[in-house]
Amino acid sequence: MDFFEQQAKAHRKTKWLVFYFILAVAALIPAFYIAVLVVFSGVQAHQYYRFRYHYYNQGPPQFSAWNPPIFFGVSIGVLAIVGIGSAYKTMSLSSGGSAVSELMGGRLISTNTNDSNERKLLNVVEEMAIASGVPMPQVYVMDDENGINAFAAGYKPGDATITVTRGCMRILSRDELQGVIGHEFSHILNGDIRINLRLMGTIFGIMCIAIMGRILLQSVRLERRDNNAVLPILGVVLLVIGYIGVFFARLIQAALSRQREFLADASSVQFTRNPGGITGALKKIGGLGEMGSRLSHAHAEELSHMFFGNGVSEPLFGLLETHPPLADRIRVFEPAFDGVFPEVRYDEEGQAGPPIRPTRAPMPDIPNIFGTVVSGAILAGGSEPPVIKPHVVLPVLGNPTPLHLKYAEQLRDSLPDSVRAAAREPADAMALVFAMVLSNDENQRAQQLAGLEQSAGAGVREKAAALYPDVSQAAAHAHLPMLTLAIGALKQLSPDQYEVFSRTLNWLIESDDKVEVFEFVLQKIVLRHLDSQFHGATKPILQYYSIKPLAPECSVVLSALAMAGSQDAGEIQKAFDAGAPYLRAPDDSELGLLPSEGCGVEQLDNALNKLALAAPIIKKNLIEACAHVVGADGVIMESEAELLRAICDTLDCPMPPLI
Amino acid sequence: MGSALIILIVVLAVIVVVALGIVGYAIGGFNKLVTLRNRYKNAYAQIDVQLKRRYDLIPNLVETAKGYIKHEHDTLEDVTKARNIAYVASQAAAANPGDATAMKNLGAAEAGLAGTLSRLMVVSEQYPDLKANQNMMQLTEELTSTENKIAYARQAYNDSVMVYNTDREVFPSNILAGAFNFGPAELLVIDKPEQRDAPKVSFS
Repeated sequence: MDFFEQQAKAHRKTKWLVFYFILAVAALIPAFYIAVLVVFSGVQAHQYYRFRYHYYNQGPPQFSAWNPPIFFGVSIGVLAIVGIGSAYKTMSLSSGGSAVSELMGGRLISTNTNDSNERKLLNVVEEMAIASGVPMPQVYVMDDENGINAFAAGYKPGDATITVTRGCMRILSRDELQGVIGHEFSHILNGDIRINLRLMGTIFGIMCIAIMGRILLQSVRLERRDNNAVLPILGVVLLVIGYIGVFFARLIQAALSRQREFLADASSVQFTRNPGGITGALKKIGGLGEMGSRLSHAHAEELSHMFFGNGVSEPLFGLLETHPPLADRIRVFEPAFDGVFPEVRYDEEGQAGPPIRPTRAPMPDIPNIFGTVVSGAILAGGSEPPVIKPHVVLPVLGNPTPLHLKYAEQLRDSLPDSVRAAAREPADAMALVFAMVLSNDENQRAQQLAGLEQSAGAGVREKAAALYPDVSQAAAHAHLPMLTLAIGALKQLSPDQYEVFSRTLNWLIESDDKVEVFEFVLQKIVLRHLDSQFHGATKPILQYYSIKPLAPECSVVLSALAMAGSQDAGEIQKAFDAGAPYLRAPDDSELGLLPSEGCGVEQLDNALNKLALAAPIIKKNLIEACAHVVGADGVIMESEAELLRAICDTLDCPMPPLI
Repeated sequence: MGSALIILIVVLAVIVVVALGIVGYAIGGFNKLVTLRNRYKNAYAQIDVQLKRRYDLIPNLVETAKGYIKHEHDTLEDVTKARNIAYVASQAAAANPGDATAMKNLGAAEAGLAGTLSRLMVVSEQYPDLKANQNMMQLTEELTSTENKIAYARQAYNDSVMVYNTDREVFPSNILAGAFNFGPAELLVIDKPEQRDAPKVSFS
């Protein structure tokens, strides 16, 4: 299933979520109503029979099953509690993935860490980020958890975070870690993380009632008066009925998460081509016994649908399981698995136990000559650039393969040491980004550096000047990976430093009077991902389901791409016409090649912003059209490929490197 | 009966809405304080990474210098002692970023370390063999670069602490801060090195 189908499916799932949620609330109201009615009637009867003499002129109280005031009161009360609970939780999650990670007690791992376990984890994440085209997510570790578990959270690939337990870092080998992180990246690419976050917000409201009941019971227990037994009874009622709510919440979690876990396992193996990694991790979880993937944190239950393995105690009914059984998950890749888990020793020194050998031979390794081709191509002017045809672009989007992973590892390792080290330090990452947009012309560059010193300080200027030779020699296809790594480090700037950085970047790009399309898109990627970190994550709300209102914006993008590839007017028109049909727009849309004033940087910016809010199918058609515009001369050059990848990133569609 | 009941309901509704508004605001304020507190703790982690790098470089530096400047035994010993004091102080600070005593201790210890290091550099100027040694040059280069990074990370940390403290003291967030025990965070101040002995650091 391709990336766009997955995204559309994920969006549809949220509608099911709303439906289940309404069902749950609808079940709660009658339950409450009956309970309150019984209590109320009981109190009435009690009062009547106790103070019979006062009511001698009235008959016994009439009880009827339908009591409108109570019904409305109960309905409003339930809706209010559930509504406020959900609203509170959704608000508290508004900063995206990092809110969830910190809720679970996660500690952010610095990109320039010295600890070898953390470094290993970050390296694995870096390789996957470069291979899949997802910007480097922030990685958190839950220090207090010794089990093996992990989760990914966020609204879009750009603000996703990955959190692992300390047990993961210490017990799993590198291959197994890759399997687990691959599973989490699959969640990010399949659009699961957004559903999960919304799920957290909604079911918290349902669970609220049980929580309120518990609080009421605990607080009232101390001040009981015998003649006023209403409040404790109310507490018990809330608690009992609240557990109906919890039951429904668990049902919803289970229904939405179980088959996605199988899917994520499969995607992970597709990605790493190493079933031994993920089966090894699952076996180690089994080998740790009861507590294998259990999390001790109080909030674990709210997130139970998001974890890699089962994070809370086994529920009573099979229907309530958020994860398929371990043995079943292993048997998908190893049908001969006998259900016996090898015992895992938890070494006190913190060294990971030996990797569990797979019982099936691993798939054949990628031939090694590929490595030399890649490293030769890192420096511009090495071996021939890869020849890419337009029709390979779309299938690979959101579907990275083991080839991409290998490529990413070798590309990362062949980056110059200075660049690699700089990309991991917040201060130096700033200099790296500046170095990427410095002018080729020496005089202009000197001017830019002088301005840089005024704006960001002498240290940054020196570093940018030092990095410029390495950066300018790097091939076109190394720029986006460098940026991916740098973004990871830049997320650790303080808000003030970020302001300085974005201001300086803006100035730098405008300072040479001519803004190249690639420069502009680079800036857009950087600022977009960092803005979601510093100015609050925005939830992607789809506004456009039809391409007709977006036709002008599509024209801008395609025109800009056509002009970036050639200077000749005929060629430009030809390129535009090659791509336009793929938009599949109705015949009366205003689609046409624009003059160069009409698709300048500002127009492109606005167009991309608007297009980011379009439905997945529209984005799919647009990217296909872009690929054909860029490949109209028969082949896609490296620089054009990177431009295409960059545009995809601004549309929240991560595209792996084109190899 | 009718109009009085309606008025009662309207008044109740207004009270409920206002109460909800206050609760919502309080929740938002609480979340902001939590976010800002996490932010400065993360910013401290950045400093910690660089400090550790520095503490690892210094023993190498001392070993390299020892071979050449055998007479300056005191200077080398001072550097090692100051480094160990600073290391302990940084451990305490990492356990409790923003805590007043921990930060002050760290600032003082780092200032002392910087002082001894600068003395070492002055002394090593008089030994051209040492100055020309490849290892020594590389180590001093890395040390300088690490110090620049510490300065940068310290600036980021202090910025985050300022934002947190301001939010903590401003009305009406100060009510929330008091109610939920959000303590003040301390800035990290490292004075310029002076020619003095290793400072007395109190661990009370």
